[in-house]
Amino acid sequence: MRWFLRRIATCLVLAWAVSLVVFMTLHVVPGDPAELLLSTGGIAADPVAVKELRIRLGLERPLLDQYMTFLSGVMRGDLGASLVDDYPVTKEIALRLPRTLELILAGTLIAVILGIPAGTYAALHRGGLFDRIVSGAAALLLAIPVFVVGTLLVLLLAQTLKLMPAGGYVPLAQDPAKHFTLLALPAIAIAKSLAAVVFRMTRASVLDALSRDFVRTARAKGLKPARVLMRHVVRNALTPVLTVLGLHMGTLLGGTVLVEYVFNWPGLSTPLLRAVEARDYPMVVGIVLTISGLFLLINLIMDLLYAALDPRTRAA
Amino acid sequence: MNFTRRTILAAGGALAFLPSPLRAQPAAGILRCGLSAWPPNLQPWVSTGASAGTVKMLTYGRLVGYDRKGELIGEIAESFARDPADGAWVFKLKRNAFFHNGDPVTSEDIKWMIEQIAGEKSTAYMRAQFQLVAKIETPDPHTVRLITKAPVATLPHWFGNYNMGVISRKSEANAPIGAGPFKLAGQERGTSLDLVAFEKYHKPGFPKLKGIKFVVYADENLRFAALQSGDMDMIEYVPWQSMETTEKDPRLKLDAEDGPFMDVLFNATQGPFADPRVRRAVAHAVRREDIVKVAFFGRGRPLEGVPIVEGTPWYDKDLAKGWNYDPERAKALLSQANYAKGFSCKMLATAQFGMHKDTAEVVQQHLAQIGIQCELQLPDWSTRVAMGSRGQYEISIHGVSGDNNDPDGLSVVMDTSLSPTYSRSFGLKAPRTSEAFAKGRAEFDHAKRVEIYKEMQRAALEEVPIIGLAWRSQGYGMDKRVQGFKTLPGALTTASGALLDEVSFG
Repeated sequence: MRWFLRRIATCLVLAWAVSLVVFMTLHVVPGDPAELLLSTGGIAADPVAVKELRIRLGLERPLLDQYMTFLSGVMRGDLGASLVDDYPVTKEIALRLPRTLELILAGTLIAVILGIPAGTYAALHRGGLFDRIVSGAAALLLAIPVFVVGTLLVLLLAQTLKLMPAGGYVPLAQDPAKHFTLLALPAIAIAKSLAAVVFRMTRASVLDALSRDFVRTARAKGLKPARVLMRHVVRNALTPVLTVLGLHMGTLLGGTVLVEYVFNWPGLSTPLLRAVEARDYPMVVGIVLTISGLFLLINLIMDLLYAALDPRTRAA
Repeated sequence: MNFTRRTILAAGGALAFLPSPLRAQPAAGILRCGLSAWPPNLQPWVSTGASAGTVKMLTYGRLVGYDRKGELIGEIAESFARDPADGAWVFKLKRNAFFHNGDPVTSEDIKWMIEQIAGEKSTAYMRAQFQLVAKIETPDPHTVRLITKAPVATLPHWFGNYNMGVISRKSEANAPIGAGPFKLAGQERGTSLDLVAFEKYHKPGFPKLKGIKFVVYADENLRFAALQSGDMDMIEYVPWQSMETTEKDPRLKLDAEDGPFMDVLFNATQGPFADPRVRRAVAHAVRREDIVKVAFFGRGRPLEGVPIVEGTPWYDKDLAKGWNYDPERAKALLSQANYAKGFSCKMLATAQFGMHKDTAEVVQQHLAQIGIQCELQLPDWSTRVAMGSRGQYEISIHGVSGDNNDPDGLSVVMDTSLSPTYSRSFGLKAPRTSEAFAKGRAEFDHAKRVEIYKEMQRAALEEVPIIGLAWRSQGYGMDKRVQGFKTLPGALTTASGALLDEVSFG
């Protein structure tokens, strides 16, 4: 129990450190939110109006005072409001985060559906035509940047063949068919690299499992090849695959920026990017804090799982 | 039936020729229009950019607007004129103008609106201008009389700005009640806005559309892809590289005008650029055709003088070439200023917008030819704005547009008597230019105004408060079925969205 509480305390301290670093760094970076807002479109802002807006937004108060107000808000679960349109940050995150998570989950699902069977088949037929072609394709997919794949998908399927929409978003409740149609291309773009990683990892793990003694023993006992494969090879091979998958999914939380931008998917990355451009301090800190909080949560869960599986790690 | 590889491939190929149920299908009478940016907010009088401006003009309406030639016309005001008796500007309101809550638009609403804009705590874009209004009289519900502290010939233009939405005095802080042709029916935050036609709009028979669905595509290539694929009926800001494709596409059409322009700004508080001869040398050193070619794919025009729109009475063919490309003259001017061997400096632009970066690189190359070695500083836009406003640069590249096509609309860019900002030169004094702007603003005789603004151009060519580089084309791309739209000329291109009330499907 003490170990568990210590882990929780570490997470809280890390979250506080993130909030402090992001908050202070943002205020040090040049750029005045009030001036930027009033000069939208490249026009000249009236300095008197800028000053008035700064007062109204609370930007004229001492930095420490602003930080303490923010921190006390966080304690109450209130991340403040956008400087641009006064929209509550928590509401914005609640609206956007599920969309990003949906995109990541859809991409991961595609990657798993393609990567695991293909990796297994390639390992079983090591050096064969399929193995060589798919291994080559995986290397190629990893090498091509996601925005290139995204742009090519739009060019081919939307602009040339006119089979798919170029991008955008419709809520699931409003039009489920259109929602999933719009989800397809960005999810494929997300899945591109992940599928290649999953394929490679599965292939390597299956090859490793195939050479293990327990597989030889299972075969020697006369088990059917399919049963050996499913129960002894794939099952054991999937553990490292899942670890890698978990790590990549975490990275994708903050890494969907390009995909969301290219396909106009209104997830969490778009407002983050826009908020950084507009120096919308509460929005940036709120979103970064949420993403880092999720990272910390995933790490905490992983630590707890490891501890449950191997009690020796608790002493570490 | 046998499924061979060949039949599967043939079936796949045939898919391309079938109307796809997966693609967005248009609803009757609803225009799907791609915007370049999500409106930061829809406050009627705060500057929120041209995309937000389009939505604001359509939902709030304006007292005056512009016709297809860019001439000022009445909108909610049926007429406007100067009272010769006391010099007041008199606006007569239409009797059939209503707010979206059904209330008539009255002179009291306009009075309240001006008071809010000019208020001490106001953050309105036109705040400084309306603080020149000394008295607002409302002799009847349909007449507004504005008496200014000094004569202002351009006052009606103030009401034509897209940050001058007309809203009811009964509006609550975050719920403005407008009088425009469309009502805001809903929005998917960050993604789309839905407008529906307002049945009591003051122009009989308009709007012709049942509604407009604005979808935001921040990426210009995706915005164009959405038009080309048929997801959108119309888009704003067609990327320059896609304008030719739009023109060649049998289903699409392009409506573009040269409006905004690129310019050079200076920090004249110290160093070589404090000397107008050095600034003139810069003006003569740059071959503008290269900028048009590199930054705008040929979609623009060289600008070798003060940015006065060609075809207007203020335009002068000779003055328009006052800063023509002449490297020998540039070198001679540098010699006169004791910089015969040239010098080094830092040039500020931004890498966030390709047109700024590309223009800066071309200018950098040309200045090197006359011995001025520029080190490029290309921060993000927000940093560039902060550095510009604080004068943390020596020379900078900017892109801007006048407020309107009257030369007074250029004062926001060229009048150095105004407060410092990133979009004007820093610490630079051009007294003759500023004086001419003030004189032109106070003069009501058209012929005299023409002469004053020609004098302003002569003064600016010598004092060099900015250097014009290139007009850039600004275009709307649309399906050929979209009828009735026109991109407004010159500085008004960004206000063209107001004409969506006349659009219909042919």
